[in-house]
Amino acid sequence: MKVLKNLIKDSLVYLTHGRKSYHFWMAFLTFLMLIGMYSYSLQLEQGLSVTGMNDRVSWGLYISNFTFLVGIAAAAVMLVLPAYVLKDFDFQQAVLIGEGLAVAALFMCLAFIIADMGGPARLWHMIPGIGVFNFPNSMLTWDVLVLNGYLFINISIPLYILIMRYQGLTPNPKIYIPGVMISVFWAVSIHLVTAFLYQGLQARPFWNNALLGPRFLASAFAAGPALIILVLAMIRKFTDFKIDDKTIRKIALVVTVAAQINLIMLISELFKEFYAPTHHSESAYYLFFGLHGKAKLVPWIWTAISMNAIATIILLFHKLRNNFTILYFACILLFIGIWIEKGFGLIVPGFIPGPWGKIAEYFPTITEIGVTIGIWAMGAFIFSILARTGIAIELGKIKYKK
Amino acid sequence: MNVKLNIIFICTFILLISCKHKEDEYHTITDKIEDLGKDFKGIPLSSDKYTETLKKVEVTENWQRFYIPERKSQIKSFECSECHSKPLNEIQGEENIEKSHWDITLKHANQETMNCVTCHSENNMDELHSITDKPIDFNLSHKLCAQCHQNQFKDWSGGAHGKQIGGWAQPRVSQTCVGCHDPHRPAFEKRWPSRYNVHMVDERK
Amino acid sequence: MNKEIKKWFSLNLGNKKQSNCGCSGSNCDGQALENKKDGISQVFDVDMNRRQAFKKITAGLMIGAGAVSTSCSVVSGDESKEKSQIEWEEYFKGNYKLMTEEEKDKTVNRLVRSYELRIGKKINISSKNAMDDVLFGYAFNISNCQGYMDCVNACVKENNQDRASEMQYIRIHEMNDGKGLNFGEADDTYYHEVPAQGHFYMGTQCFHRDNPPCVEVCPVQATWKEKDGIVVIDYDWCIGCRYCMAACPYDGRRFNWSTPQIPEQEVNKDQHYLGNRLRKKGVMEKCTFCIQRTREGENPACVEACPTGSRIFGNLLDPNSEIRWVLANKKVFRLKEDLGTEPKFWYFMD
Repeated sequence: MKVLKNLIKDSLVYLTHGRKSYHFWMAFLTFLMLIGMYSYSLQLEQGLSVTGMNDRVSWGLYISNFTFLVGIAAAAVMLVLPAYVLKDFDFQQAVLIGEGLAVAALFMCLAFIIADMGGPARLWHMIPGIGVFNFPNSMLTWDVLVLNGYLFINISIPLYILIMRYQGLTPNPKIYIPGVMISVFWAVSIHLVTAFLYQGLQARPFWNNALLGPRFLASAFAAGPALIILVLAMIRKFTDFKIDDKTIRKIALVVTVAAQINLIMLISELFKEFYAPTHHSESAYYLFFGLHGKAKLVPWIWTAISMNAIATIILLFHKLRNNFTILYFACILLFIGIWIEKGFGLIVPGFIPGPWGKIAEYFPTITEIGVTIGIWAMGAFIFSILARTGIAIELGKIKYKK
Repeated sequence: MNVKLNIIFICTFILLISCKHKEDEYHTITDKIEDLGKDFKGIPLSSDKYTETLKKVEVTENWQRFYIPERKSQIKSFECSECHSKPLNEIQGEENIEKSHWDITLKHANQETMNCVTCHSENNMDELHSITDKPIDFNLSHKLCAQCHQNQFKDWSGGAHGKQIGGWAQPRVSQTCVGCHDPHRPAFEKRWPSRYNVHMVDERK
Repeated sequence: MNKEIKKWFSLNLGNKKQSNCGCSGSNCDGQALENKKDGISQVFDVDMNRRQAFKKITAGLMIGAGAVSTSCSVVSGDESKEKSQIEWEEYFKGNYKLMTEEEKDKTVNRLVRSYELRIGKKINISSKNAMDDVLFGYAFNISNCQGYMDCVNACVKENNQDRASEMQYIRIHEMNDGKGLNFGEADDTYYHEVPAQGHFYMGTQCFHRDNPPCVEVCPVQATWKEKDGIVVIDYDWCIGCRYCMAACPYDGRRFNWSTPQIPEQEVNKDQHYLGNRLRKKGVMEKCTFCIQRTREGENPACVEACPTGSRIFGNLLDPNSEIRWVLANKKVFRLKEDLGTEPKFWYFMD
């Protein structure tokens, strides 16, 4: 326990020191978080009517971000697999960063869920024992279980490793390898379960298809590692942490394959919807071409698809992929493209047209955007803290002094 | 070791999934109705508390037994014979006489099918009469309508047409034909809807 | 220096919380550099706390009023003490489905009393349970419906729905003759003389299915199917996640995006706990087949109000009921039959 206390104390001391750019970054994030808190207070006061959601489109920006971030969290840990199973030491450097990203992403997920609730003070109703936990019928309860379990695993394993390293000891593989193994399988399951949330609703034909789960996984494994590449690039630039080019190249390979699979799945979906359109294809028509004159989402989805396509094509070529500047550009494209696709390209069109064919369009309000920005800033904040501490311990900057 | 762990994991997963099942074993609602309704013996609730003060008449039509509200006491100027002492053909055609019921215009089928004596008995204004000139009491005026409107009558006797008074519990008290349809102008007039939802329209802009 | 710091830790602050405010102020005197960073670390620390306080703030907002007024109860009168006591107990009560009869009575009394304290008027809230041998069913005659929307008005009045957002459980669709049940081309916001030439009218609402997907997906079991077939919601248990709304194929559910506003004189004072009692913001609601009326033997408000008699309601288990006659003698159909959820709402034509 003393070790833990000291670790926290030391990391706090370390975290409050840094270059000007670091302080500026943290201050900027704090400012964004304050905006988020203010917007959320507005929402608590007046209810969810301050958002753009309505009875037809009852899930919007918050749940879109939640879905996307679950994918990021899942993918972050997929890097763990090659590191420990394939004993590929190049990946090991990225592992702690990946798990830190997973933790940050998970906190963001939980925050988005709380932000989306109509009655957040009543969330204790979900706790089994005190409340009522509708397991195993409700997929939402499965999601709660897997997400929290995943959070627990992703906090405990790196914490163990870091505490060992902090003391200058080597972490015992017998302790952390099983945990890592579980977390790899768990990573797949969190995104699959989140996909099943939507897939299981027979009322929404746009979601009720077999490809949704696999599609989620593919896009997660494209966007997540893309984000990791960008993060590693920043870490290389701003810290002394050494990351081999080889590591980044291998992660880029993962991104390439996942992006291609994602595109193939997209083509499969488009074929199903447009080759022999049925009544159930109306949502797809609305999304890609607009329906009855309503076409708010059309520019978004086409931008997203073109970004994904361009990024995938860029990543196909060794020459381009190995040029890191181009690689980063492709990763940014992919990340943003998949973010748009998962949000505006999946959640919102699932609700449009409504069950009786009526189209009520959705666009987020300023308050909603404010809360979203606040939560993203919070995630970046958490990640900065975790990454900085982790790197410092790895580099030996923070050492346990008896 | 890892393989064993995985197997245990998968097994528990399957076990958990298989726990999800429907509450009752009925495949369709009609199966459920048939099964639960076969020993139906009645319920303690009755419509009597809502229809106590209403004067009712019991009728049996198409093997359905139910109540209808009594009509004669509701007609303002019943007994017709109080005024109509002479048979109809004798008072018809007389000019310069102030007519009651001046406001009753007949808008029911067409001139070839309907006139006053189609329903009203010529000699006894206190009664109606059927096509075969059998007397029909004002309380049972539905028998008259049933002559032409067979389908609606069949539906009404089952409870599928018209309104029920006093709720859903037994005994059934149905509104009569004339309770909703003015026999002289039975069709419902066109009107405007009672509501316009601005909010819904805005949502769809 | 380190020893000094350690001493402070081992003395005062033995748990994780010690990393906050207290220590940085008192034991960092020696380090001038540290002082400068205090400002940021203070902000930093507050943020760490904020994440935990985040949840507490939201809970506190709810209980805050009650807690504060309880503590100030010496100053404020007995009434507000009672009010906060009621709010406190209401916040911590359990799921209605799992309550004993006694607990149900208690919560009903609390709600009645709370209304009396706030508004000064009396209401009745019933907690009547489902009767045996009753399974409610509904039939809609699409030949007779003329599109008057009297049912919608009656429903809104009866069930205390939010006037500000014009919430209505019932939708009346003006369909096109010849196009059949094409809801995409139907209009449910028409406003012209009805019945219009070339159209027929159909009403939709919650169909109280026998296999409701909304009940399956609710994470806290705030919605369930009662024994008499009515799908109900415990408004105080609902957490507002809106998963049930996503799961409903018939647009049966309505969400209170803000606090419902009903003019006081229009409030229907005969209420049922699971029916038309007053809701709060952030909870789901829906048609309950007017549970406050039907459990007493009356017809739902929509059935009562329809001038053309297009709506038929009754007990499916009673072989002599009108609804059973309709099912046996008319050509009935249901909407979205292929979803396999067994609605208890049938349509038929003359």
